[in-house]
Amino acid sequence: MNTDTQYLHDVADSDYEHGWVTEIEADTIPKGLNEGIIRLISSKKDEPEWLLAWRLRAFRHWQSLAAETDKYPRWAHLDYPDIDYQDISYYSAPSSKPKYESLDEVDPELLRTFERLGIPLEEQKRLTGVAVDAVIDSVSVGTTFKEELARQGIIFCSFSEAVEHHPELVKKYMGSVVPYTDNFYAALNSAVFSDGSFCYIPKGVRCPMELSTYFRINEAGTGQFERTLIVADEGSYVSYLEGCTAPQRDENQLHAAVVEIIAHKDAEVKYSTIQNWYPGNAEGKGGVFNFVTKRGICDGDRSKISWTQLETGSSITWKYPSVILKGNDSIGEFYSVAFTKGRQQADTGTKMIHIGNNTSSTIISKGISAGRSNNSYRGLVKVNKGAKNARNFSQCDSMLLGDRCGAHTFPYLEINNPTAQVEHEATTSKVGEDQIFYCNQRGISEQDAIKLIVSGFCQEILAMLPMEFAVEARKLLAIELEGSVG
Amino acid sequence: MPAALIDKDTRLEDRFVSAFEMQEGLSLNGSNDGLRRLRKEAIGHFATLGFPARKTEAWKYTNIGKLLKRPYALTFGPSDDSVSASDVEALLIPDLEAHVAVFVNGHFNAALSRLDDLPEGVVVTGLAEAAETHTALLDAHLARYADSEGEVFTALNTAFTKDGAFVYVPRNAVVEKPVQLINLMTTAEDALVQPRNLIVAEENAQVRLIQSSRATTEVKTFVNAVSEVFVGDHAHVDRYEIQDEGTTTSMVTTLNVYQQASSVFRNSTFTFGGEVIRNNITVLPDAEQCETHLYGLFLADGTMHVDNHTLVDHAMPNCFSNEFYKGILDGRATGIFNGKVLVRQDAQQTNAYQSNKSIVLTDTASMYAKPELEIYADDVKCSHGATTGQLDEEAIFYLRTRGLTLQRARALMLVSFARAVLDNVTLEPLQEALDAMVTARFSD
Amino acid sequence: MTPLLQINNLKASVEDMAILKGVDLTVNAGEVHAIMGPNGSGKSTLAAVLAGREDYEVEDGTVLYRGEDLLELEVDERAREGVFLAFQYPVELPGVSMMNFLKQAVNSIREHRGQEPLNAAGLLKLTREKAALVNLDPSLKKRSVNEGFSGGEKKRNEIFQLAMLEPTLAILDETDSGLDIDALRTVADGVNSLRSPDRGFVVITHYQRLLDYIVPDFVHVMVDGRIVKSGGKELALDLEEKGYDWIREENGAVPA
Repeated sequence: MNTDTQYLHDVADSDYEHGWVTEIEADTIPKGLNEGIIRLISSKKDEPEWLLAWRLRAFRHWQSLAAETDKYPRWAHLDYPDIDYQDISYYSAPSSKPKYESLDEVDPELLRTFERLGIPLEEQKRLTGVAVDAVIDSVSVGTTFKEELARQGIIFCSFSEAVEHHPELVKKYMGSVVPYTDNFYAALNSAVFSDGSFCYIPKGVRCPMELSTYFRINEAGTGQFERTLIVADEGSYVSYLEGCTAPQRDENQLHAAVVEIIAHKDAEVKYSTIQNWYPGNAEGKGGVFNFVTKRGICDGDRSKISWTQLETGSSITWKYPSVILKGNDSIGEFYSVAFTKGRQQADTGTKMIHIGNNTSSTIISKGISAGRSNNSYRGLVKVNKGAKNARNFSQCDSMLLGDRCGAHTFPYLEINNPTAQVEHEATTSKVGEDQIFYCNQRGISEQDAIKLIVSGFCQEILAMLPMEFAVEARKLLAIELEGSVG
Repeated sequence: MPAALIDKDTRLEDRFVSAFEMQEGLSLNGSNDGLRRLRKEAIGHFATLGFPARKTEAWKYTNIGKLLKRPYALTFGPSDDSVSASDVEALLIPDLEAHVAVFVNGHFNAALSRLDDLPEGVVVTGLAEAAETHTALLDAHLARYADSEGEVFTALNTAFTKDGAFVYVPRNAVVEKPVQLINLMTTAEDALVQPRNLIVAEENAQVRLIQSSRATTEVKTFVNAVSEVFVGDHAHVDRYEIQDEGTTTSMVTTLNVYQQASSVFRNSTFTFGGEVIRNNITVLPDAEQCETHLYGLFLADGTMHVDNHTLVDHAMPNCFSNEFYKGILDGRATGIFNGKVLVRQDAQQTNAYQSNKSIVLTDTASMYAKPELEIYADDVKCSHGATTGQLDEEAIFYLRTRGLTLQRARALMLVSFARAVLDNVTLEPLQEALDAMVTARFSD
Repeated sequence: MTPLLQINNLKASVEDMAILKGVDLTVNAGEVHAIMGPNGSGKSTLAAVLAGREDYEVEDGTVLYRGEDLLELEVDERAREGVFLAFQYPVELPGVSMMNFLKQAVNSIREHRGQEPLNAAGLLKLTREKAALVNLDPSLKKRSVNEGFSGGEKKRNEIFQLAMLEPTLAILDETDSGLDIDALRTVADGVNSLRSPDRGFVVITHYQRLLDYIVPDFVHVMVDGRIVKSGGKELALDLEEKGYDWIREENGAVPA
């Protein structure tokens, strides 16, 4: 085996950094899914009747979908066993206390968990300029900088707290972008979701810091089903970050989240994700099944929603952060780097639905496949009949590291208005021999050359991430590429 | 002899199965055993596959079920004698010297054909006749490349295979003049016509084919055509298909191409008219150093619906493929381009390019593009691009400042847009004829 | 004193086609050697073999670099040992910023020499200083390596990197190709400023013009995979005047 393939081999097999488990006592409900379980989840969370009723409607809808196997989403370029939805526990929370008044009440083991992940929650160690909501298994364990934000009228709290303190906002917006009828996993999430983050930026306010939610699955045999709801009122701005990890386990764990974003007139929401759920081992054993519905609506004129994602984790990724461009002159953006290795499979992309006039969208997707992984871009650009002067530019580049992996591009362009200008470009390449030779000739080793070239390939996307995140993203990508080579 | 009016109430697929059972003992009889066995297997596959449902990904944008529900007559009979030489004349390409094979309702008509000066060893005839005279060739090639197990329209066609074009170019033979295959449809009632074509170009052979068809009556016609092309080592096959039907004709055409080492296959599909047109092209370059070119131009207006599906399945290393499709959608027309390039693991050093450009002229026309790359080999150069837009207003303004009317300026831009595809037509008289058709379309 | 580079009877082929058919060449520190020859004579192959390009198979002969076997070393090891190739066609590295690239290259070599790695400030200072040598637009440093550079910029970038990496042996492969006279002067000035008693140059060129600006100590003529004539700088002028055919004839080769 020459150094090149040896190195790629190592890349493909490199270890997962966040595979440890925290020993904390958890309150985990029995496995299974039925109306009783939904009621149990709702009662554990002291929820109002209207929310329970909504969950039950969602559950019945999900049941009707689950009853007909052809309603399972099977169009994705993914191969995985059927999931036994009765063999999952739908609620797990650290048991010391269901809710925390302050961080002092939080189990120190838990705080250490987040610190180990590089997310300190304690007052003196807080990340400057970033407010964090930390969610472990199903429950939010702490939100930092709450008071500072509240002074400007910004609401940033766990979803449960929002239900309790801001029911009018939750009622108004929950399910308005992703109704529970949207798809199989959205229905499931709507029925069993446990917690998540809620964020409201009032009119004209520019959120002074990055808002961030950090998700971690800890318990075995559980699924994580969180909902995030972000509402940016007229003329406001917020940048929101999301990170996630999970312990290394031999079984597959299910993560089915819903994220909804509403951007009113002149508002701008920037949503960044670093997805690093446990991807399974090199043979494809274990790992998180990541089925996520993320969608934003540019409801008002001149509003803007931008999704940026770095996807390195999960054994299966099924995820299409989308933007509905309803307001005139609204803007949707999707920037993505998806790196797969081992036996990972990713089917990810976006949907840009142009409805208003003079709307524009940009899609830049970079897929890197190594090992025996499969990496697909799937994206829809749809221009409705009445949407005048819609503009879209899409660019999907794939890079293959090794000859046992796959890179695929499935764009859908649906144009129903003559004034639309839609452009899609895609390329597939490998790291060029001549590029490596050039780097070698300047004294850079083969491995460093590959890292350099791959980082260069992703550069324009990573540059879109907020600074703190960009550093983390670069590190993560370097670790992913480094493999076990010293 | 038209026969077997299909009863309306039973499941659509079952109507065809019972028609098959009825006809098997009658019209479909008389040909060789191999063919009979193929048909029998195919009707089984057809029944299992069923017609595409609305949710079938490959038929996402084309609702073919609607058309199939019409009570078509299945035609099996011998060639209709009422066709005249002038009907054929209308489809000839001016100034093009060609060998002409004429088919009526999918059945070979020797009297109307002009095949007297074919080179030594070259055969152009009907498939039904070839089943008697060239049994070994049919055994070796027929139904080898088209997929009756996976494609319902192929299965249906195979089950009812009776006649169509048979072109055989033996080793080292070069057919200098192009071969034009003309299918005229003359049925008096709504009919389903299913021609089956087989083109075999052996090692180092060369042939150019022009396929065209036309309905001479105003009844509803549905053509389900399947063509198989075998391109041997170092052989060259250039194929042109002209689809210029009236609004009463719908078509599903399926073209399966099998390429051997260092062969070159070029196909160009020109779609000017029809009700619903669906073209499926699958090319399998099954050896190294193959070259494949797929060109397409579709001009649709009214309520016309054109759906082009292509698949280039690169299984072997060092092959080249290039796809170039352009479309102009006017009125309430719908255009679809779904091109897929598949590069399998062993197909290293593949160069595959794909481009689709479309212009949508009205608020009520739609264009759906789905260019796909599915790649499992790492040492490849693949790219695709798709653009949809409108005419460049700046350019039109510029032309108008030079004295052109708006109409002229638009026509000039549209003809130029289409001409990029015509440039790849190597038969000059054909290129001129197509250019005239495009120009005529936009010049009133 | 051990020569810097000593090539003996070097034979190399590409895809079973013999290109170098027995090259002999000795370069001492401080010397500038020009290798001239018609297209296809094997000049660029020689450069590629010295740098370690894998497509080239060495069939016979030896290459000693400071007395050690150069051919045993990997490409990047050669670079860290001080062998620099200025490419005829520098490759583009999309997205890889010049600064990041330089940092990795400079520090790989410094590490190999047992020096401390340069920090960002040190690197920036060095960059500024060296970029001035070849009049390289400072904004190019912000761009991706060679991406969107004009032909002239690419060539200047090669000489700039030569200055940054301070090699012991620099091989310039047709650095003049595609340059107009002004750019040629700039590049030559850069190279001249880098001449030093402990550095050797091998300048490969098709035309004599470059040698008006980079004046060589020795000129070698390569024809059909061999160095068939060597002399002083005046040999280049003879070639310019008479073309390559007289050399070919002198050596009994068939004129092109």
